[in-house]
Amino acid sequence: MTQPLEGQHHESPLATVARRLHLDRQAEHWLQRIDPTLSLGEVRARVIGIRHETPDVKTFQLTPNGHWKGHRSGQHTLLEVTIDGVRHRRPFTIASPPDADALALTIKRIPGGTVTGFLHDRLSVGDVVGLAQASGDFVFPDPRPTGPLFLTGGAGITPALAMLGELAQRGGLEGATLVHHAREAKGIIARDRLVRWAEAGLELILHTDDEPGPRGFDPDRFIEEVPDFAGRHTWLCGPPPMMDVARSLWALCHASERLHEERFVTTPPVSDGQAVKATLRRSGRQVTLDGRGSLLEQLERVGEKPAHGCRMGICGTCRCAKTSGVTRDRETGALSTEPQPIRLCVSDARSDLELDL
Amino acid sequence: MTHQHLTPDEIEAFGRELDAIRDRHLADLGERDRAHIQRIIRIAETSELAGRLFLHFGIDPISFVLGTGALTFAKILENMEIGHNVMHGQYDWTGDPDLDSHRYEWDSVSPAASWRHSHNFEHHTYTNVLGMDRDVGYNLVRVGAEQQWRLGYLVQPASALGLALTFQWGVALHDLRLEELANGRSTPAEVLERAKPFLRKAGWQVARDYLLYPALAGLNAPRVFAGNLLANAGRNVWAFAVIFCGHFPEGAELFDRSVLEDESHGEWYLRQLLGSANIEGGTFLHVLTGHLSHQIEHHLFPALPAWRYPAIAREVRALCERYELPYNTGTLGEQLKSVAAKLLRHALPSRARAEADSPAPTPVATGARGKPAAVAA
Repeated sequence: MTQPLEGQHHESPLATVARRLHLDRQAEHWLQRIDPTLSLGEVRARVIGIRHETPDVKTFQLTPNGHWKGHRSGQHTLLEVTIDGVRHRRPFTIASPPDADALALTIKRIPGGTVTGFLHDRLSVGDVVGLAQASGDFVFPDPRPTGPLFLTGGAGITPALAMLGELAQRGGLEGATLVHHAREAKGIIARDRLVRWAEAGLELILHTDDEPGPRGFDPDRFIEEVPDFAGRHTWLCGPPPMMDVARSLWALCHASERLHEERFVTTPPVSDGQAVKATLRRSGRQVTLDGRGSLLEQLERVGEKPAHGCRMGICGTCRCAKTSGVTRDRETGALSTEPQPIRLCVSDARSDLELDL
Repeated sequence: MTHQHLTPDEIEAFGRELDAIRDRHLADLGERDRAHIQRIIRIAETSELAGRLFLHFGIDPISFVLGTGALTFAKILENMEIGHNVMHGQYDWTGDPDLDSHRYEWDSVSPAASWRHSHNFEHHTYTNVLGMDRDVGYNLVRVGAEQQWRLGYLVQPASALGLALTFQWGVALHDLRLEELANGRSTPAEVLERAKPFLRKAGWQVARDYLLYPALAGLNAPRVFAGNLLANAGRNVWAFAVIFCGHFPEGAELFDRSVLEDESHGEWYLRQLLGSANIEGGTFLHVLTGHLSHQIEHHLFPALPAWRYPAIAREVRALCERYELPYNTGTLGEQLKSVAAKLLRHALPSRARAEADSPAPTPVATGARGKPAAVAA
């Protein structure tokens, strides 16, 4: 069916034969017509339950097909959905421990968000979504350290839910601490579970902005509550300002090597004509693009020679995978924020970029 | 040329109106487009499976005819409406790897990557420019008085027929640029290097159609062999007919290299319009041609999903009327007849009268005003 992208992975001889005879494409087609979760190699999952956690958070219970290789508590996956004909992929933390019956993704609706809006409003039980294999090193080391500390804020609690869930299943909550921050009491995700785990031995410290006292993460209050924090393995996940404050606290105590962080990086967009930095993956080059004209022209000005043809957006020769960053289609003005192929001759940069060149 | 009544400003205004049509459709891309191509894929896959089952397990002539027909139909859909259009990047925006122009490999002996270069870049950028668009006559037939006559063109009615029957091989060999061996632009080693992906792919294709599938059919092997051969030949003839009707009926213009000098955006559009011709018909015909029955719209907007061309054609035609520009269209029969007449006529060296019939190409930006010339010569 489809050619493997260059250098992507090694194909088994059988897979090569199947591809050369177009049999893989046909097999995939018929498998999907029999059952949309069936696939020769792709991980697909059926939605078997949707739980309302808070007014703007839902947990989606998924059962992946046999290609799912499992995950470790604290890892994330890419969820793939098709919205108005377009495939979108977004990273979400897996909120369930590895041996749970179903994979749980606890997802907060981002105001105006295409994907989270779709998941909240349109995705229903029985639908099939795509998944990428789990990844991420926000996990328990082996052996699991005693007395783990979790410091979380808002939707950043999701990896901690998986890790605490794993501890709960193994009777290991004793000695663990969760310090969680939320805007309001009714916005606390999985509150019932947290209370249950607290009864089973978890030290649970909850702070909401609607209670008296400091708002959000407050280092002084935290030191009082968890005086031994610097000596404990800590998993930190929350909004960027909170993470920044916590990171400097740990650095001050020379405890940074025991601080594990999870954060999804977003690149701030720049405006038209502004210079950006581009990382070229294949050549390993870092270049500064001046922001004038198309990306193709800008790359040529810094000495690159990307393959190209018509220079007017019709032939697709200059198509190149953008692995991170935001670009704009100069024909339509549409922004491309996800990792996807772009045509260099009709795109310009709207943030720092990483390109497969 | 047939646009000399337009000033440079008018040509650019024409281009801007086409840009607006393109942008409106780009902004509207969505589930309907995806649903269309998925539906065609479903039909093609079902038809192929049905065809193969008839061929492999039938014993009577009726199931042979049905099987071969279904297989031909499937192969035509796969090459024309699916392969050609997907490889143009018409569905790249979906982000679906199965509809990705740089991953799709079609059921043809011509490897997708080399075809994409010769077709998407050379043919679509330099459409009908002599010496630049190698698809003009496929180096085998002479389709205009502007092409220099060679002795070999005398037999072009026969060579065209041969090309029709083996079109996928013709396209693949064409992509190898064998003629560069003769004029010294490529060494035999370079040509061999270029040929490797083709030889590999063609080997697999041949092995599949003429060894593997027949072998799987056991006693029915000759039947399956014959069915596959006929299906491939049927698709060859069809693709040849559609493509020759797209650029070579009377009235479709050829251009001199000089038009490319400082060619503006509007002039590029104009060249696409003047070098292409449409086939009239119903939805079924359009789908069978991969919507290349709307060759004009395809050349104006090669990256828009092709099923939108019939709707776009109404806008383009209205635009052409307003700018008093020709819009070359006719039924399949008319266009075929026109192509055949041209092939016959240009098999012989052009006389002065023939030269006058199809005026020598002139640079596009003339700006001279005058009556639009007739569409068909």
